[in-house]
Amino acid sequence: MKNIITIVKKDLKLEFRKRESLTSMLFFGILVLVILNIAIGIGQNIAPSISGGILWVAVIFAAVLGLDRVFSNEKENRCIDGLLLSPIEPETIFIAKMAVNLIFMIIVELIIIPIFIVLYNSSITLENLPMFIAIVLLLNIGFSAVGTLLSAISSGTRRNDIMLPILLFPILIPLIAATVKATSELLSGSPVEKYSQWLYLTLAFDLIFFGSSYLLFEHVIKEG
Amino acid sequence: MSKGREMSSSSFLKIEDLKKSYDGVNALNGIDLSLDEGDFLTIFGPNGAGKTTLLKIIATLLKPTSGVVAISDYDLEEHSEEFRNSVSVISHQSLLYNELTAQENLRFYADLYDIEEPAGKVTKLLKLVDLYERRNSKVAEFSRGMQQRLSIARALINEPSLILLDEPYSGLDQHSSLLLKNQLIKLHDDKRTIILVTHNLTFGMESATKVGILVKGKVAYFKQRAEIDDDNFDETYFKYVGGKTL
Repeated sequence: MKNIITIVKKDLKLEFRKRESLTSMLFFGILVLVILNIAIGIGQNIAPSISGGILWVAVIFAAVLGLDRVFSNEKENRCIDGLLLSPIEPETIFIAKMAVNLIFMIIVELIIIPIFIVLYNSSITLENLPMFIAIVLLLNIGFSAVGTLLSAISSGTRRNDIMLPILLFPILIPLIAATVKATSELLSGSPVEKYSQWLYLTLAFDLIFFGSSYLLFEHVIKEG
Repeated sequence: MSKGREMSSSSFLKIEDLKKSYDGVNALNGIDLSLDEGDFLTIFGPNGAGKTTLLKIIATLLKPTSGVVAISDYDLEEHSEEFRNSVSVISHQSLLYNELTAQENLRFYADLYDIEEPAGKVTKLLKLVDLYERRNSKVAEFSRGMQQRLSIARALINEPSLILLDEPYSGLDQHSSLLLKNQLIKLHDDKRTIILVTHNLTFGMESATKVGILVKGKVAYFKQRAEIDDDNFDETYFKYVGGKTL
């Protein structure tokens, strides 16, 4: 646990010094929300089935921008070798990097979601807020687990900025689809029973991909 | 450290029939090496001879296809965590974060190695490499020579018994190379075992107690430094690597 905190603190320090990831993530996420709001018509009532999709388009595309930065710091001066030479296990590096991705996503969501609520008159109330937070967390965990593994893979390629989305989005489709469906039902005021199957799907995705990413990470990060 | 597979002798570092292939291409073709504690081995060799691959395997950064690497009779494969605790690498890459200060970089590595009293250790190492006054400067602001000195401090944070040096003179000017050479001699004076891989015959020969030439993934030449005739070493080197002296 101590080593995870050490790596997370180091990564956050680097990010707050460079301000590369969070700035571009926030700027992109807000831009998507504003442009789509203008396109649909400011003040227009939008069906929850559409607004749920808009929110996650903004969050996920913004989050992808931050993903490849997590390992680009380690590529600089081959710092990844410094981590691998130390007595910590590769799985510890995976958990730390996933935690950094989670933190970046949560920071972005804390800013983007209130803007989304205001722009799209979304019916997130105190009553449905806990379930909405559960949906957000389930998406974040699955996205960060897969994203961490794939950004480690793509960081070894020459065009990792292109390679990462190509690898990432096909795998994320079930997670994104289930999250959009669950959010749309929640915003429509449906009871939990009506969208619980989507929550189970995201939970299953998280468990499968967290487990497999955790186990595969050592093989990905170390040279053959 | 619990005892692993027993090795055939009590050498500090023992490598037996070490092989590594990438997609059917052999980078190492059966390396046999034996070093005593406190040895300074310099390995020369042309590009593609397998020098860096050898160091990466010893450093646990790369898995061998077959063969055995052991320190003090403890097998690398069975004790990789203990191995990593006693090995450090200094290469032409600094393994330092540009946006962190010298002090922050060393503190980060001290925490990873769970060093007792990390603040004191970091201060001591910064003074050792003469960078204490610049402790709050970012690595990005350092010259190549200063980065290499800080890299030495980083490599000493875990007090390694084996130091692997992969082309450490690469990119350094003459003055910085001389400073680095003196630092390496100091490290050796502390009775550490050192393996240096370099193209620089002059610097490589000056510090060595043993000298090897690696050609096509095999040790083609291996001698005690004292047995080598300095005047003819250029010719010997080119004879083994298949080139010609000027």
